[in-house]
Amino acid sequence: MADTWADRLSRKAGYDERSAAILILPVFVVLMVVALYPIIYSFYTSLFDIVLTRPWRRPFVGFGNYARIFQDPMFWVAVQRTTVYTVVTVSITTVFALFVALLLNEAFPGRRLLSALILLPWATPSIVNGLMWKWIYDPGYGLLNGILVQIGLLESYTVWLGNPDRTLFMIANAAIWKQMPLAAILLLVSMKAIPQDLYRAATVDGANVFQRFWHVTLPALKPGLMLVLVYETMISIRHFDLFLIMTQGGPGDASYTLSWQIYVETFRNLKFGIGAALSYLLAIATFVLSYLFIRGFGSKS
Amino acid sequence: MAFPDRSRLSRRSLLKASAAGGLVAATGGISASFGQGAPVNFTSWSAAVDQVRSHVSAFERATGLKVNYENFPWAQYRTSVVTRLVGNAPMDVLWVSDAWLPEFAEAGWLATIDDVPELMKYNADAAQFCTQSMVYKGKQYGLAYYGDHMSFIYNTEILQKAGITTPPTTWEEVVQQSLKIKQSGGPEFPMLMALGIDTWLIEFMSALVFAHGGRFVDVSGNAIMADANRGVVEAATWVREAIHTHKIVSPGAVETTEINALRAMGAGQHAFAIVPTYRLRALNDPSQAPAAGKLRPALMPRGPRATASATCGWIRFYGMTPGAKANAGRRANAVKFMEFFGGKDTTGSYTLQKLLLTDVGLPFCTTPLSNDPEVKAFWTRWAGGGDVIAQQAASAVKKDVIAPWFGEWNETANAAWQSVFLNRATPQAAATAMAAKWKDLKG
Repeated sequence: MADTWADRLSRKAGYDERSAAILILPVFVVLMVVALYPIIYSFYTSLFDIVLTRPWRRPFVGFGNYARIFQDPMFWVAVQRTTVYTVVTVSITTVFALFVALLLNEAFPGRRLLSALILLPWATPSIVNGLMWKWIYDPGYGLLNGILVQIGLLESYTVWLGNPDRTLFMIANAAIWKQMPLAAILLLVSMKAIPQDLYRAATVDGANVFQRFWHVTLPALKPGLMLVLVYETMISIRHFDLFLIMTQGGPGDASYTLSWQIYVETFRNLKFGIGAALSYLLAIATFVLSYLFIRGFGSKS
Repeated sequence: MAFPDRSRLSRRSLLKASAAGGLVAATGGISASFGQGAPVNFTSWSAAVDQVRSHVSAFERATGLKVNYENFPWAQYRTSVVTRLVGNAPMDVLWVSDAWLPEFAEAGWLATIDDVPELMKYNADAAQFCTQSMVYKGKQYGLAYYGDHMSFIYNTEILQKAGITTPPTTWEEVVQQSLKIKQSGGPEFPMLMALGIDTWLIEFMSALVFAHGGRFVDVSGNAIMADANRGVVEAATWVREAIHTHKIVSPGAVETTEINALRAMGAGQHAFAIVPTYRLRALNDPSQAPAAGKLRPALMPRGPRATASATCGWIRFYGMTPGAKANAGRRANAVKFMEFFGGKDTTGSYTLQKLLLTDVGLPFCTTPLSNDPEVKAFWTRWAGGGDVIAQQAASAVKKDVIAPWFGEWNETANAAWQSVFLNRATPQAAATAMAAKWKDLKG
């Protein structure tokens, strides 16, 4: 087999595995310092009962912080809220993104402009997004109430975020609005890679538009869907900024999610040990879910 | 003749200069850190920044000392300061909320000033409530920055239109007058309450509890909040009924924060509200509030068992770090700074206290200033007179839930209050949950 130009260049320049390792070393060291060390140190922190306002004590408690978390009823409230929020956000984002990707995959006038416009929410900073939706939902002067009253769907202004039955869904709506465009673009890229021959063959076999979607598009989209599901799950399960801006975990405990509990324990109660343990639990949950998605979508069946 | 190697010389010179400079900087730095000329490291939250800056400049001119002034947003202040204190960052003087005093004192982050006569002498001029609020376990930890209380305010125009001549004196009258206002075509929700999860919620609720003649804890610090007749349950019941039975408070109050409430009150959308007194200046400023000039303070209405009006008061103060106090030079400078800011400046006047009132509306703890003509004129202009405010200030009680575990307890309390306001829990159940958390934390 003939040498490639890269092989020849490597030999000429004297590149080998050792020099490659030396070249990679700086990046490796930086990664160790900025990523691996904090991860290990935060686990180490989670084994101590560190309360910043009691600086004179720092007892080693082993997995005591984890045990306390599992005994805390608020942890289970947070797990429930996080699960509901994540399921709602990820499922609706993915379904909407799929529809938008299908739309943008068709040829029609103004498609390029629409593709650009649809990315605008994604480009909006999270803080701005949270403030914007908080104002839209405001029970006194909010746009949502204004529109619904004007078109006759509501008799009078209603409370959106302040109603604990609605709170999580209203926040999820704000998250979906921001996250959906990127998911749509990711799916669109996957759709563009599907060979057109498959559609032509399916059409020749008499498949209608729904059958083509079900038997051709969806199976071919599996890698893209897996990417979207993993990414959206990782984002949603750790969502914090919208909760900080819109509800502060309230009303009552209606939006008390795991990331909010981590914030409260770490930065309000200044319990760094508990906060680190909670963060680890959230990281493990994220990892397990991602693994399950990858396994599920990666299986040959 | 050979020319000297300039580059070599210059490198040597540079190295020598650097070494010498480093040595000078090091020794100078050490002497500066521990000597009379050391800068005063002053940390505050981002409030009255212009007034503080101008007073810092005045202090620097008057004393020849330099001040390193840094400020953080209120929402992040406690966390920022705690991490700096834990990390031994250079701090000499800082603003402290009375709510954090036990926590900071127990952690050894604040120095007592009992043995600093230059500062203790100002107790003679300070309101007793203020001085008591800076005392923990019998030791005083600072000099007041400002002291304030929750005021009940009303919109004179809305009351007049409803044919009401005097503001309510009891919470039952608040309900009756609100219903009358609604019936006469006034605001849908006459009583404005900021019941969102906010740092102010405990002050609002404490004001209501004290106004009902109640307390959260007894003199030994044991929780009495779950006792049905000790104010907490009664205050929570009143709010719940105001929202759900009488419908005089908006159900959206659970997401209304103090700042949003001010905007609504300033816009003339409500007849009654509870606000920090220092907000009266902005509320009655025509450039900031359409309802300016119509918003007046009244005494906090009483609950059925209360014998007199009462409200919740609080103070913020200048505290000194133990690190500053331990070093003679830094201590001297920090004391000068605290005296200049929390006491009298070099002109022998309470200049900053007066400036903070007239510019920002922050009430002071310094009783002699009450008779100052400019101060009287201020209250007349912005509150229609100072008598009600003075009377209410005299009845102000500091939050009795201030304890080393206050912050953590307050997290539970916030959720418990809101569960009542949402009609998801009975006032008794919420108060019991608060009491259980208190007992757990107190140990």
